[in-house]
Amino acid sequence: MSTPPAPAPPEHYETFVRLFVHHEGRLRGFLRTLVRDWDDVDEVMQETSLVAWRKFSQFDPDTNFMAWAAAIARFEALKHLRKQSRDRLVFNDEILDLLAEESLEEVDSLERHRSALGKCLEKLDSRQKELLQLAYQPGVKFHEVAAQAGKSAQAFYKTIQRMRAALLQCAEKQMQAEAAT
Amino acid sequence: MSTSGNGNTGNGGGCNPGQLPEASRLIGEWLSGGITPADFDLLQTMLRDCSEVRRMLREEVNLEQVLRENASVTADLKAWNPEGLPDHEGEGEAAVMPFPGQSTKTRAKKYWISWAAAASLAVLLSAGTFLWGGRHALSKDLVREETNRGCAILTHVVNAEWLDDDNSRRTGDTVNSGMLKLACGFAQVEFFSGATLLMEGDAELEIISPWEAICHSGKVRVRVPPPARGFLLHAPGMKLVDLGTEFGVQVNPEDLSSEVHVFEGEVEAHPNNQELISLKEGMGLYKEGNKVAPLPGVRPDDFMGMERLDAITATRAKARYDAWATWKKDISSDERLVVYFPFERQGKWQRMIGNGCNPCNPDRNGGVVGARWTQGRWPMKDALEFKRPGDRVRLRIDGEYEALTLTCWVKVDGLDRKFNALLLTDGYDAGEPHWQITQDGRLMFSIAYPDEEHPDVKRNQVHYSPVVFNRSNIGRWHQLAVTYDNCSGEAIQFVDGKEVSREVSPLYQPGRKIVYGACELGNWGLPLQDHQFPVRNLNGCMDEFAIYQIALAGDELKKIYEASKPE
Repeated sequence: MSTPPAPAPPEHYETFVRLFVHHEGRLRGFLRTLVRDWDDVDEVMQETSLVAWRKFSQFDPDTNFMAWAAAIARFEALKHLRKQSRDRLVFNDEILDLLAEESLEEVDSLERHRSALGKCLEKLDSRQKELLQLAYQPGVKFHEVAAQAGKSAQAFYKTIQRMRAALLQCAEKQMQAEAAT
Repeated sequence: MSTSGNGNTGNGGGCNPGQLPEASRLIGEWLSGGITPADFDLLQTMLRDCSEVRRMLREEVNLEQVLRENASVTADLKAWNPEGLPDHEGEGEAAVMPFPGQSTKTRAKKYWISWAAAASLAVLLSAGTFLWGGRHALSKDLVREETNRGCAILTHVVNAEWLDDDNSRRTGDTVNSGMLKLACGFAQVEFFSGATLLMEGDAELEIISPWEAICHSGKVRVRVPPPARGFLLHAPGMKLVDLGTEFGVQVNPEDLSSEVHVFEGEVEAHPNNQELISLKEGMGLYKEGNKVAPLPGVRPDDFMGMERLDAITATRAKARYDAWATWKKDISSDERLVVYFPFERQGKWQRMIGNGCNPCNPDRNGGVVGARWTQGRWPMKDALEFKRPGDRVRLRIDGEYEALTLTCWVKVDGLDRKFNALLLTDGYDAGEPHWQITQDGRLMFSIAYPDEEHPDVKRNQVHYSPVVFNRSNIGRWHQLAVTYDNCSGEAIQFVDGKEVSREVSPLYQPGRKIVYGACELGNWGLPLQDHQFPVRNLNGCMDEFAIYQIALAGDELKKIYEASKPE
């Protein structure tokens, strides 16, 4: 039976959705440092959202939702990692702990970073956007896309890396500018 | 492994700046999924030693996330931009459909954020609708069908004495929300959420829902598999949220002090319903009044384990089985027996079931069709499982009789049919008894005595018991019995050795013979032509079946029940 414990009343539901949607981006970023790829993030996010909803009646609204949800997400991520513990490309516990801890400390600045990146992205021209769209379209792995480009795979990869570097630089400037005003 | 150690100062962040471009490359490869194991090790070392690399990783992840969200939104929009809606040209990117009430000017700026939000909202809404819709639909169904609501099943009851209203709780019973007071013995409660709780008498447990219970006193041990994560157990002044684990709780009713011992996994303890204390494997908590202290160590052996209970159950089951086997030897030579099936198979595919009467009349052996061998009342005892419409045991009983007693041990798994067969004769001719369970849970015993001059007029003697099967006692072993004799005309029905109905049919005429002929257990071989309810297969298991040629007295049936009951 899929009955959740301690049923939250419907008005809580709206609150939950609002909070969750507001923090979803941060949670995803947080999770990506913990798991292997974005598919894993999707999986863990799904579990996290359900667990968070089931436990929402236990959430104290006066406390930090992100910290609360991140604790759940971290636990779900660990579960997920345990399942694939044979996979060598998962960071070890010590590093996961460090990353999780610091990601939480930096939640706000990472959010500002994300919004700055969004602004920078809009400044790109349409050809650049198309390229990024191609590289990061859902359901494909970056190296597969690059491989499809055949001989120019290396060039494709380098182009994307350069754009990424430019975007990160742009975001940094953007954040500095915002901090200054 | 790496050589990144030059002068690093550990996690604090002193890094070799020369490493950063290399780190950037490795992070890029890690993100793209193309990193080699050797490089991955190198990256791990850098991450461990250098906070700057970790910051880079977080920023790269952030970027990647923004890029992916953006690309996925654009892709969604492309797939979405459908029938008849004009493309928004000249925006230099995938066309964007405006949101209702949103001008095209602001749209371009916000579109990916809004879409990500809208998409996640949709996902959440559908998840939520499922949860709420599911709950709603479920409760509506239950209200319509039954007024009480189960939360758990008693899967093991050993040596138990119950102090609450329902002292007859047994293995297989469904438990509703409410109090379980166990004076002594052990009871294993499996919640519908998947959590398993083992209580050890003397203990009081209050079940709130499939997801929640309160331990008022005594010792309980809880095991929570992943689907039941979030299971709540309350002790006085303390809430325990299970994050997938095994733990024990002991509540002393005198001073309401309580102890929590985590044997495996993790438990969130909320003493006084406020602070959150995370208890990991091997950790424990002692609480008395407002005082909360860590336990110096956990004592798993103080709590009865599921495995130990299994062992005790097995020992007891063996003892019960042995007692039954001895008793069986005695009764099999009872000359009043017409047929006796103890249901003990010799080989896996044995399809003949032996008539266990001593001396044995092999003409009354039965033939298994479809039905499969399964575990009976005890792990070492066989039973036949009837599930599919074809499953049955065929037998033939010659002779004419003045009286009868039918007994069987049956575990009903569901009452799927209007009539669910125990023993039916092929057809339904004069003097033939039919023994079945109606869909609403009553026992039904009848004998056909058609009026030969008016064959369209039903003259059958039919006897119904009150409802004896409901959802809470389905799935456990019961002994059913009926006695009838053609002198008194009285039909008496029994469940677990207790009389549940007694009556004489108004259509009774003294002295009419009882015959069987070809008949079957668990099904109806030859339904009458055009019968409205021809399909009557039993959904359940049968363990031990007997027909006597006299109507046994209630006392004797009670003895038979006591000698053959599972616990």
